[in-house]
Amino acid sequence: MARINGARIDNAGMDGAQQALATGGGLLSPLARAQYAALARLRWRVFVNGLRSKLGAFELGARVVAYVMYGILGLGLGAGAGAIAYSLADSQNWQYSPIVFWVVCLIWQVVPIMLASFQEQFDLSSLLRFPVGFRSFFLLYVVFGLSDLSTIIGGLCCFGILVGVTAARPDLFVWTALILAIFAAFNILMVRAVFAWIDRWLSQRKTREILGAIFMVLILSMQLMNPAVWQHGHRASGKRQQQQIQQMLASPWVKTANEVQEWLPPGLAGVALRQAASQQPAPALGSLGVLGLFVVAAGSVLGLRLRAEYHGENLGAAPALKKSAKNSAKAVPVREKTAEREGDWRFGGSGPIAAIIEKEIRSLLRTLPLLYAVGAPLVLVLVISGSFIRGASRGPAPLVAFPLCVFFAQIGFRMLFSNNLGTEGAGIQLYFLSPTPMRTVMLAKNLLHSAVFVVVLVIAGLLATLRLGEPGAVVVAATIAWLLFVLPCNLAVGNIFSLTMPYRINPGRISRQRGSQASTLLSLLLQVGVLAVGALVFELCSIGGMMWLTVPIFLALTVVAVFVWLRILGNSDDIASQHKDLLIATLMKAD
Amino acid sequence: MEFAAIQTHGLTRRFGEFTAVDGVTFSVAPGQFFGFLGPNGAGKSTTIKMLTGLLEPSAGTIEILGKPFSASALDLKRQIGVVPEGMALFGRLTAPEYLRFVGRMYGLDRETTNQRTQELLEFMQLANETRKLVTDFSHGMQKKLALAAAVIHGPRVLFLDEPFEGVDAIAAGMLKAMLQGMINRGATIFLTTHVLEIVERLCSHVAIIHQGRLVANGPLEELRAGVASTLPGAQSAQRLTLEEIFLSIVGAGDQQDLSQELSWLA
Repeated sequence: MARINGARIDNAGMDGAQQALATGGGLLSPLARAQYAALARLRWRVFVNGLRSKLGAFELGARVVAYVMYGILGLGLGAGAGAIAYSLADSQNWQYSPIVFWVVCLIWQVVPIMLASFQEQFDLSSLLRFPVGFRSFFLLYVVFGLSDLSTIIGGLCCFGILVGVTAARPDLFVWTALILAIFAAFNILMVRAVFAWIDRWLSQRKTREILGAIFMVLILSMQLMNPAVWQHGHRASGKRQQQQIQQMLASPWVKTANEVQEWLPPGLAGVALRQAASQQPAPALGSLGVLGLFVVAAGSVLGLRLRAEYHGENLGAAPALKKSAKNSAKAVPVREKTAEREGDWRFGGSGPIAAIIEKEIRSLLRTLPLLYAVGAPLVLVLVISGSFIRGASRGPAPLVAFPLCVFFAQIGFRMLFSNNLGTEGAGIQLYFLSPTPMRTVMLAKNLLHSAVFVVVLVIAGLLATLRLGEPGAVVVAATIAWLLFVLPCNLAVGNIFSLTMPYRINPGRISRQRGSQASTLLSLLLQVGVLAVGALVFELCSIGGMMWLTVPIFLALTVVAVFVWLRILGNSDDIASQHKDLLIATLMKAD
Repeated sequence: MEFAAIQTHGLTRRFGEFTAVDGVTFSVAPGQFFGFLGPNGAGKSTTIKMLTGLLEPSAGTIEILGKPFSASALDLKRQIGVVPEGMALFGRLTAPEYLRFVGRMYGLDRETTNQRTQELLEFMQLANETRKLVTDFSHGMQKKLALAAAVIHGPRVLFLDEPFEGVDAIAAGMLKAMLQGMINRGATIFLTTHVLEIVERLCSHVAIIHQGRLVANGPLEELRAGVASTLPGAQSAQRLTLEEIFLSIVGAGDQQDLSQELSWLA
């Protein structure tokens, strides 16, 4: 027996409940229930502690604003889903109900990527050191995800659908609730299964590279798919476009796609609702049964991954592809190997700028979240150009269509510009230890990011030309001049954010990233600012019929922006020195 | 007149109300292998961070190789090498890529960087891992790579924060030989570690920091003699291990009583 702070501790002193806990048990045993409660409390504390930030009150304020924004987003989506569901139920257009379920499903699966930085993360594999049975571990993993944003937003959408359908058809309340419950269960399990597997694949270099390549192919495919679908859509009138849509819907591949989607979870949910509304309980139960099978399948896929983790597989030590004996027998001597790799030295200069640029290229190519951030907004070019095409019923697209389309492609650079030290991790220390000034580091990063910026925007320009038709020379010149102004603005402000509001980017994960809400909000504000300046200049010059005047105006603004960027670059060492503790502590923080 | 390799005067670092390092003054002569010891949270890492420019002192001065040192002293940084607490590695590079990067950051030319990269990889037994990303390295391999990066530019003063943590016995022996070779060639090494046997074997001088204050400083033999004289009974100074000296100085003498605590533990 011993005393700690006056408390008597011995086994004999355990009461009945403690004894029960100590003996362990099944899924709902006292021990498991105590663990669920402890985890719920942990989740709460992680949330509360997440509000503490070394970045201070400003970051806290930004987080509150972000919570409110995401709250409004969730409620808005829920209300939207409810309104559409009401409209479909009221007009008996049940054949369109799968569309609502598909949209909700898409939001549910995509939100974890889009809003990942909002959530504080916790690695559940650390629970394995406790006496947790596999079923409890599985349940904890699923329950832990219930307070994820994706689940909250998806849940709000489901609630909206329930309210919408019930308002129009109160007799369908029980059916709708049942369908939505199973649909929600599928989404909860699916989203966690998908990301558990993606993170597993990302933990190996080989699969990481393969996944990166597939991802880039997908992005490019999306670029090509849209024009292919709308190949006859240029400058079509509203009526003509409607005819095109009708033709497209009547085409055999759309019919086949519709038949296939009816056997997938969102389609099954929609079909079950339609069957229930048509007083066909047996087929509705059948559809629900198949949907239930998908829930089991998603659970099994997740279970497969979790079982491996439960049995001690650490993502950091995921088994690598074994080298064949043949390969090892042909092992190249080290000196030859390194000599071979000298070809990897892509820049002739030995100086730190060349070194940092080379290192940045290598890191960028191996960092999926950054590639994704830079590549994904290219889709926006197609979306926005499509809206301009549909908006312009007759005649050419408006003058601002081309510059706007190209501008939106650079939104993905936010992470690269405004958190350009985010992937350094513990390596940030090297910049403070080496005799290379921070301004050199920032300059090298800025140069590389500018080059990538130019490449992406040229691609965006080509895509926009493909969709909108060839823009006039003045429009192209004005767009280039505007983007020349946007670039140093982004670099200047981005350098300040990178040094004062850094956050660590986990290069191996596309989901579950940390983030700085202040940096995110302010860099979005910057985008709004440069967009507003651009819009103002374009508007004023087009009113006066002097579009050519935009070029000298933007170039003059560029000179000012470059001057500011150079000043900030020159002060990088002072800024970095003032925020050294924060930079090192934040970027070295373990995930 | 020969100047000290490292000289601090009244070195202090405060974090809000808390003083992590309080008026630390010491001097390390050129060519010395200097062990800097202390219990957890004593201020060792904070001190080494200030000495290497990773942390600004709240007060006091630092001189390296006879010149005032600050984070902006770029010329001095070329002459020091550091294995910091977090190892300063870039996970998304391979070992040769990382070493070449570090070499260029320290201003080495291409040929020298490549040559030293090869030699260091071979010496550190990392030559067969040239395609693996640093993030996939074991902790011990990362330590070896961090040490290789710290010496690639041939520093005159080397700061090592727990360099042997996680390193296997074979590699540790090799590293010790390398460090001893550096000392023989005139380099100065400032080492913090919890492995007292290593300090006892390698270091000629030792300083002990406790609760932010320097409580002992001098040649190992002097410390032995000093502690022996304070112990009850006639205890031979030669028989005292560094662990006994350390425990005696930081005042952890009641450990036998602690064994009676937590009796519910099996």
